[in-house]
Amino acid sequence: MKISTHSSERANVLLCVLCTILVVSVIGGNVLLNCMTRYNVAASQVRGWKESLDAAETGGDIAYAEVRKTILSPSSAFSGWNYTGGIYSNSPVTYGQDSLSTNAKVDLFYYDANGNPWYRIRTAGTAPVNGLKRVGMDDRMGPNNRGDSLLRKIDFNYDHFTATYGPNGDGLNKTLVPVSRPQVTRRVELIAAPITPFEAAIKANGIFYGLGSAAYIDSYRSSAGPYDANVKTTPGDPRYIDSRSGTVEINSSIATIMGSIFGNVYTNGGFVTKNTSSISGIIDNNVPFTLPPYYMPDTSGWNYVSNPSTVGNSTTINPPSAGTPRSPNYYLISSFNNNGSLTVNAYSSGGTVQETYVAVHVTGDVGASTGQGATIVTANHVHLEFYFDGNFGAKAENIVNNSGYAGNLQIYGISPTDPSVQQVVNLNSGGGSTAGFAAVFYAPSANLTVNGGPDFVGAVVCKNFYANGNVHWHYDRTLDNVGDAVDYRVISYVEDTR
Amino acid sequence: MKLKSSQSTAGFTISEMLVSVALSSIVLAAAIVSGVSLQKSFSAVDNYFTTHMQQIRIIDYLNRDVKRGLIVTTSVDLQSVTMSLPNYIIQSGDSDATSTNVGTPRTPTISYNSSGWQVNYAPSTTTVVYTINGNSITRTENGVVTTIASSTDQLVPSTTDVELTNTEYANTSVTFAPIFSSNGSTASRTGTSLYATAYLRNKRRG
Repeated sequence: MKISTHSSERANVLLCVLCTILVVSVIGGNVLLNCMTRYNVAASQVRGWKESLDAAETGGDIAYAEVRKTILSPSSAFSGWNYTGGIYSNSPVTYGQDSLSTNAKVDLFYYDANGNPWYRIRTAGTAPVNGLKRVGMDDRMGPNNRGDSLLRKIDFNYDHFTATYGPNGDGLNKTLVPVSRPQVTRRVELIAAPITPFEAAIKANGIFYGLGSAAYIDSYRSSAGPYDANVKTTPGDPRYIDSRSGTVEINSSIATIMGSIFGNVYTNGGFVTKNTSSISGIIDNNVPFTLPPYYMPDTSGWNYVSNPSTVGNSTTINPPSAGTPRSPNYYLISSFNNNGSLTVNAYSSGGTVQETYVAVHVTGDVGASTGQGATIVTANHVHLEFYFDGNFGAKAENIVNNSGYAGNLQIYGISPTDPSVQQVVNLNSGGGSTAGFAAVFYAPSANLTVNGGPDFVGAVVCKNFYANGNVHWHYDRTLDNVGDAVDYRVISYVEDTR
Repeated sequence: MKLKSSQSTAGFTISEMLVSVALSSIVLAAAIVSGVSLQKSFSAVDNYFTTHMQQIRIIDYLNRDVKRGLIVTTSVDLQSVTMSLPNYIIQSGDSDATSTNVGTPRTPTISYNSSGWQVNYAPSTTTVVYTINGNSITRTENGVVTTIASSTDQLVPSTTDVELTNTEYANTSVTFAPIFSSNGSTASRTGTSLYATAYLRNKRRG
């Protein structure tokens, strides 16, 4: 019998090759797995985390637009939103190719001293997390610290926020809510604050001409002391910092600026050049702004008083109560004589004069553009908001604000519904009078003219501005938070990072 | 019975043995060198991805806090960033904490001063500091330290903050030296730069 043995040399070579391939494959596979996992984190989880903030801020923009409508288009504000328990909420909005979704809740949480509401906007934005359903490899950075998961909280199976903090984050109604797919949700809270109209000495939406060659605009802060003309040229005075904010804002390129301005000058494409002797602040010729039409505020919460309903040659208002900024004594005046005179007294209780809040709405013209014009007298402790639908004409010396604080006499020109109608405000000083008055005017649709050289404390917002006299114009910096809301801005942003 | 062996009677000559051993050694050495190189290369790629993820994490942490910050201050050497954040959530031990409101969001208070309206969630703010601490990059929030990245990877974050009229923004760049860089050249580090710019959403205070 012949026993045949076979050499295994070729098999050994094959084994070596296989082992080599195996080792290399194991190394490569391990690295590939790691890289894929990290790529998954980078491409899906990080992206989802960033996109969810985008969604949350988009929800904030949607809600903010509704808040602005409460001023600019009240009839359509929060249309289609649910209103429960003082909170407006919308249905989730889905957008974008990644199907981001967002929803918002808005509540009115505060009224300021002007009676203007402040809104809180809470939004949540959700982005799906595509890719592998697993946490990253960098979840633990140390024995007591978590890495990625501490920053990017991904809901793989359940909504962790609702389970841990409740749907409103207040610890109530905590429940386990499954999610249909992995997702990231981020939450932000915004505060929308009312913008009040008098943030500059003069704000003109159109052409600006003025003032007289010997006129000047300066500023002071009434809460820091009475006006002193010498402060603006005394750098050592602690009030100096407030004396050079007599800013003029012009939303056109047509500006003829005369006199001295102790403040900044802004135009929209103008060619104002610096003359250090006449303009103390900066000149910026690229500051456009928008002045929307002004509408009568909602009076439904105001304390309507039926008498008087007209203003004759000598009409006096004695309010029946002190009122509040949110609910002033409200008088609807159907006619105001050309030379009519209106005196508003303060309310007294028990012999003590009260801070008295009054709103007057004149549905036609007030005074006349020539002649005597209207006379308006407010007693000390009176806070008068005066609205007019037509034109306004008065001699400067006939506007008597006995408190001396411009914020206590706020005059608003309601924009005409017919855009072809040009509203006019004329303030004249009779016989070269330099008598002063303190008031603020907000009439974004009106052409405002100041003739003569009154000593004026206050601020003006108008369409076209013309002044030819040597006016001494003092802007009170405390006026920048006074008046009815004319728009809203977001002034606070915080993220709920839980 | 005669057993027939199929074994070749002819053996290898010494020359053949030497040649085969030499060739085998060369092949084996090449395989080992290749394996080691592959391992190094794979390891470098793995490290690159890992470090890149840390870059992203540093940027994301910083940007999240800058956006909700009230003020951001960068140290002169650009290695440390300090910021104040609104104290949004009521924590145990806070002056306004009760048995029922811990862990809930605050309703802000509104105040007005010479710089305008301010929204305050609490009398005090939360202080967050980012810094390089030994071999770690840490985030410290009210004294609580969280390690957010490891600087053993030679991660170098650098932040500058730029003040504008009402706001502020922070520019951050994070670089690292990749380990497959043969000579540790500056260009290798520069090539890993990750930049980000984040604006404060709030009006800057101070």
